[in-house]
Amino acid sequence: MQIAGTVTAKLAVPIDEAGLIRAAQKGDQDAFERLVRAYDQSVLRVAMNLLRSPEEARDVYQEAFLKVYKNLHLFRFDCSFHTWLYRIVTNICLDHLRRRKVRKEESTVVETSDGPMDRAATLEEDSPRGNPERQMWNAQLSDRIQRALGQLTPRERTVFELRHYEGLRLRAIGDMLGTTEEAAKNCLFRATQKMRASLESLL
Amino acid sequence: MSVSGYAENAGQFGKSVMNCSDFAQDIALYCYGELTGEAEERLEDHLAGCQVCREELDHQKLFMDAMNDRPEELDFGVLAECRQTLRAQVATTRPWSWNNWFRNVQIPVGAMALVALGWLGAHYTPERFGGVRAGLGTPPLFSSVRSVEPDASGRIQISVDDVTRRVVSGDPNDPHIQALLLTAVREESNPGIRVESIGILQSRAGTEEVRRALLDAVSHDPNSAVRLKALQGLKTYSASADVRQTLASVLLKDDDPNVRVQAIDLLTAHRDDALVGVLQQIVEKEDNAYVQSRCMKTLQAMRASVGTY
Ligand SMILES: [Zn+2]
Repeated sequence: MQIAGTVTAKLAVPIDEAGLIRAAQKGDQDAFERLVRAYDQSVLRVAMNLLRSPEEARDVYQEAFLKVYKNLHLFRFDCSFHTWLYRIVTNICLDHLRRRKVRKEESTVVETSDGPMDRAATLEEDSPRGNPERQMWNAQLSDRIQRALGQLTPRERTVFELRHYEGLRLRAIGDMLGTTEEAAKNCLFRATQKMRASLESLL
Repeated sequence: MSVSGYAENAGQFGKSVMNCSDFAQDIALYCYGELTGEAEERLEDHLAGCQVCREELDHQKLFMDAMNDRPEELDFGVLAECRQTLRAQVATTRPWSWNNWFRNVQIPVGAMALVALGWLGAHYTPERFGGVRAGLGTPPLFSSVRSVEPDASGRIQISVDDVTRRVVSGDPNDPHIQALLLTAVREESNPGIRVESIGILQSRAGTEEVRRALLDAVSHDPNSAVRLKALQGLKTYSASADVRQTLASVLLKDDDPNVRVQAIDLLTAHRDDALVGVLQQIVEKEDNAYVQSRCMKTLQAMRASVGTY
């Protein structure tokens, strides 16, 4: 569990990142791989959390790091490598989210012979131990959170994910999304308002 | 936990009056530590005297805690697979490197330029290459399906557009080769090919068409390596009015500092008193130290004031 608002970017930044980048720019594949490993857990987690699909998260991972590999020579150290990488990653994720916007968000409500039933209400049966009531509450909440996140626009969802879960500053997020800090602030606020409205009965 | 329905508990700050509803966004940003010092102080003052907003703050915190209940998900199996796939892909992909294109682009003028371009089939027919050797490659490079229709007998009719590759070779001064290179500069999606084409064309920047293509590339190409290469091509023409106008607009608009550094060098190579206004604007908005100091020095040399005040 994280405490939002206080977490800083959860990244294992290597000691000599600039050295690694320069070596990778000169074609050192080993250096490139070490650079990837410094960031790839965070990239995969963001893609997974934003897209909720291991297949798509895998695609984002490949697409993003290949793009980095092919364009690393253009990186001129005028922003942090992290910002540069996340700009690539978030844009690819946004593309995926927009492309799929037409598709309907997965619902937990399933049709049964007894009429519609919420799968979330039956999840506690899978929990092996602990307070069953608490388990059920948690399962229900995390399911509702996923559905609430699904109601945000791709941009709101991305800003929320990066600020709340990745702990990035709104200024950096604005930079990654090619917009202003002010716009990122408004976007985060809209996202929290929408989320709170759809989680109202649980809070 | 409705956010609307605030009591009209107004606070007075300077000339502006803020209501509780005006603080809603500040409260959310406050919880994320994203308020400026001034806004934070203003909010805390208000919170001290407003029960409604204190409750709103509690709701926001409750919401944020609840959001943290999402399980951390990182499947290390998936991560390992991703790393393996990437390693395999990197091993077969050549990174685009400046060294590579410097080696490739230094083609002596007069030598044969060999250009293999995937889009040739779509743009040119063999008849248009009178004096140029043109061979038709057999297998299609790209096929795109235009339509799919079942016919009455149950067979399927698919209409396919094929794009084939041909190799055209000729002297760089050959007008056909130049026409192809110009098309490549404007239409080719691979920036590497755009850079190479500009590299070959730049010796001919004196001709109207080439010069217009280079100016367009400087102003509009999305890839900064291409914009840089096109700037190099215009170097010898940095005294002419249309080039200078483009350079000024690059300095004000281009988001790549390397491109702006090139542009300021070219622009300030000639003394030009008409530039004072533009240089003053650049000094104000430029965040690259080199570009800024170059502008200031030029302004000082012209005995113009550095600011626009
Ligand atoms: Zn209030």
